[in-house]
Amino acid sequence: MSAEFNAAALLKERPVADLARLSNRGVLFGAVGIVAVAAGYFMVDLSQFLQSYLIAYMFWIGISLGSLSLLMVQYLSGGAWGLVARRVFEAGTRTLPLMALLFIPIAMNLPTLYKWARPEAVDDHIIQLKAGYLNPEFFYLRTVIYFVIWMGLTFILNKWSKEQDETAPEGPGPKDRRFRVLSGPGMVLHVLAITFMSVDWVMSLDPHFYSTIFGVLVLGGQGLSTLAFTILVLQGLSNSKPISEVADAERFHDYGKLMLAFVMLWAYFNVSQLLIIWSANLPEEIPWYIERLQGHWAPWAVVVLVGHFVLPFMLLLSRNLKRHGRVLSRVAFLVLTMRVVDFAWTIGPVFRHEYTLHWMDFAMVVAFAAPWLFLFYRNLGRRSLVPANDPYFKEAVANGGH
Amino acid sequence: MDGTSNPQDPLGTVPVLAPGHSYRSMTDKLVGIVFSKNTPTAWFVFMAVGFTLLTVLTVSLCYLVLKGVGIWGNNVPVGWAFDIINFVWWIGIGHAGTLISAILLLFKQDWRTSINRFAEAMTLFAVACAAIFPIFHTGRPWLAAYWLFPYPNVMGLWPNFKSPLIWDVFAVSTYATVSALFWYVGLIPDLATFRDKAEKPWQKRIYGILAMGWRGSARHWFRYETAYLILAGLSTPLVLSVHTVVSFDFAVSNLPGWHATIFPPYFVAGAIYAGFAMVLTLAIPLRAIYKLHDFITMRHLENMAKVTLVTGLIVCYGYACEVFFGWYSGNQYERFMLQNRIISGPYAWSYWMLLLCNFLVPQLLWVKKYRRNIAILFTVSMFVNVGMWLERFVIIVTSLHRDFLPGSWDMYYPTRWDFMTFFGTIGLFLTLMFLFVRVLPMISIFEMRTLLPEASPKHKSEGGAH
Repeated sequence: MSAEFNAAALLKERPVADLARLSNRGVLFGAVGIVAVAAGYFMVDLSQFLQSYLIAYMFWIGISLGSLSLLMVQYLSGGAWGLVARRVFEAGTRTLPLMALLFIPIAMNLPTLYKWARPEAVDDHIIQLKAGYLNPEFFYLRTVIYFVIWMGLTFILNKWSKEQDETAPEGPGPKDRRFRVLSGPGMVLHVLAITFMSVDWVMSLDPHFYSTIFGVLVLGGQGLSTLAFTILVLQGLSNSKPISEVADAERFHDYGKLMLAFVMLWAYFNVSQLLIIWSANLPEEIPWYIERLQGHWAPWAVVVLVGHFVLPFMLLLSRNLKRHGRVLSRVAFLVLTMRVVDFAWTIGPVFRHEYTLHWMDFAMVVAFAAPWLFLFYRNLGRRSLVPANDPYFKEAVANGGH
Repeated sequence: MDGTSNPQDPLGTVPVLAPGHSYRSMTDKLVGIVFSKNTPTAWFVFMAVGFTLLTVLTVSLCYLVLKGVGIWGNNVPVGWAFDIINFVWWIGIGHAGTLISAILLLFKQDWRTSINRFAEAMTLFAVACAAIFPIFHTGRPWLAAYWLFPYPNVMGLWPNFKSPLIWDVFAVSTYATVSALFWYVGLIPDLATFRDKAEKPWQKRIYGILAMGWRGSARHWFRYETAYLILAGLSTPLVLSVHTVVSFDFAVSNLPGWHATIFPPYFVAGAIYAGFAMVLTLAIPLRAIYKLHDFITMRHLENMAKVTLVTGLIVCYGYACEVFFGWYSGNQYERFMLQNRIISGPYAWSYWMLLLCNFLVPQLLWVKKYRRNIAILFTVSMFVNVGMWLERFVIIVTSLHRDFLPGSWDMYYPTRWDFMTFFGTIGLFLTLMFLFVRVLPMISIFEMRTLLPEASPKHKSEGGAH
């Protein structure tokens, strides 16, 4: 960077027009989905509607929660990648109140989605053995606890970050250490909340199935979604100040490497789960894979394998590709699409034995985009786009990174 | 304000290299450790302990070959005991060396430089100790290759490729080969320095042969850097793969306590956890004996403490998942296993000791003051060393001793030969480690030179002479 580092100027720079353009595009895209969902509401039964709703919900809250994870990780690890993407992560976390609101339709229809919430669960011996955990009252209580943890962390981290923007930098001190002091224990709580959330909302759809790695799988998938989403946002803003000054090839290279690492991690967790369950071949576990690897869903298992792992893995090996935001953002889009397919492949087989993906799944994902992206871009535009007052910012970013 | 910060160092961090060093002072100090005539007394003490225990190992292995594996306590239903516990414990310890040398290199973490050499040596020696157990567990180790390696034979006998045990053979032998290559390649430039600094002709000759004609030309350096990066890339997946395969040894079975899908990442984290604890256990005394405070600074110790804390928390997450999902499964065998492991079983004490060592004590590392306190750091690392051994004991012995059939339940008691073999491998490890410190540079001299301010391209010097 040739010009002198000027935190105040960077903080003031707001590409309002560009943000509005991206926001409008997202909302317009989502509006199509909303129309389709509204029409579909009268065409499909409630169960089908809610299945698609849950798939879309898990996809979008994955980006919100992944943002919170990565926000805390970047405070703990440091590095230019986290400084440049911090505001994107923060704006992502501030969509959590919306997601809490959007949980209401799921909470109001537990018996439609969850076998254990139906009256006939009394006759199921295995469900009865875990009824102390899988019952509506405790489910609601836990959901409240999760959102309190997530929104509490979001609130404090965003509040402190705002204070940092408003006060001139005074060098590293307790005011900057407190982010790390909170993020350490915060991460512990957050990981536990996500683990139990993944049991409650997804794994308990099939109340006989259990897998100890499930929470880790969901956690890794969320991190991957958020990285892919961040790449798309930064590419969208790569021509507007101040992002244009900080998101150079070096940064995209970092995000590309991180996305590759998460793609591999996701595959590693999945292969571990599959291999262990396949080898032991236990009657409680193996039906879960039989449903997903044989019959109607088998082709989708191949799509997930190729689209979620093989293809992005091969593409992201290229150094050249990772350094070009435009190409990289296409891979990111592929990854996000595959995240939806992965959720559909995980959730769908519980209900659908005669067919696989439903058009409603995609309509719902698109419909969620309207409120989510609207809120996200509004959040993003309300603060400076770079944390220029962070004591590490100048060293890490303005001097060309490291 | 932060008590440790000073005006020169606004970020409050300790440098990776104490100020005031030049190329010459650094080289002299590190070469002097080996060529010095005054070997510290502590070296003789550690060597004596190590060599005594090594003799114990020799005796116990000879007796084993003479009498057979019956001298060990393993018996139905605990057919796997000390041998696999110790194997997994040693293999796990090795992982820190690979992580430090490969992954931290790729992440450009310059603080790895002063600890990578002896951490890599630790990896090699730990793998050597680990290998003893499966090989001697066969009873006739000279036949091990015949059983393990898939060679074409007229009888059409092949190992079972679906078994992770055979994957282990490949994973561990690859790991040992790549680690040895990585370590040796990294040593070459320093061996040349030793050749040039040695005074006695026989020393010159030996170091000269090992240095393979290194002259430090630009072409040498170019080839060297390429080879080193490729080896780092090859080593990186090994950090994950070896312990993943080790975890499959247990997890692919259907035994409660072994069969858990969280095992692969949880074992890998456990390996790194144990490994960093062992690096701390070695680095703290070595630093004191050889007065390496300028090279292994508080920054190194604190960073290692942080890695220990994070991996330790992942391991504890694994414990928590095992307990929750064991209950949540609703499976009566899983639930019995938990009750037996934690509350009512005869080995429940080992689970609570494990929680003390691996969960409770390491929480001290959250506090910066304790991370910078050598005594506390050393104590915590010793707790983790013990805790990670207990973890394997809990997993292996308590899961096996009460399986599905109450009629076959029995207790496991290790014999004196079990203990002698185990402590004997610690002797082998100590002997190799202190021999290494005595004859080879335990800190990479040429990489340390790059940490000097003169080595930085921004530094306008009159030209560094070295």
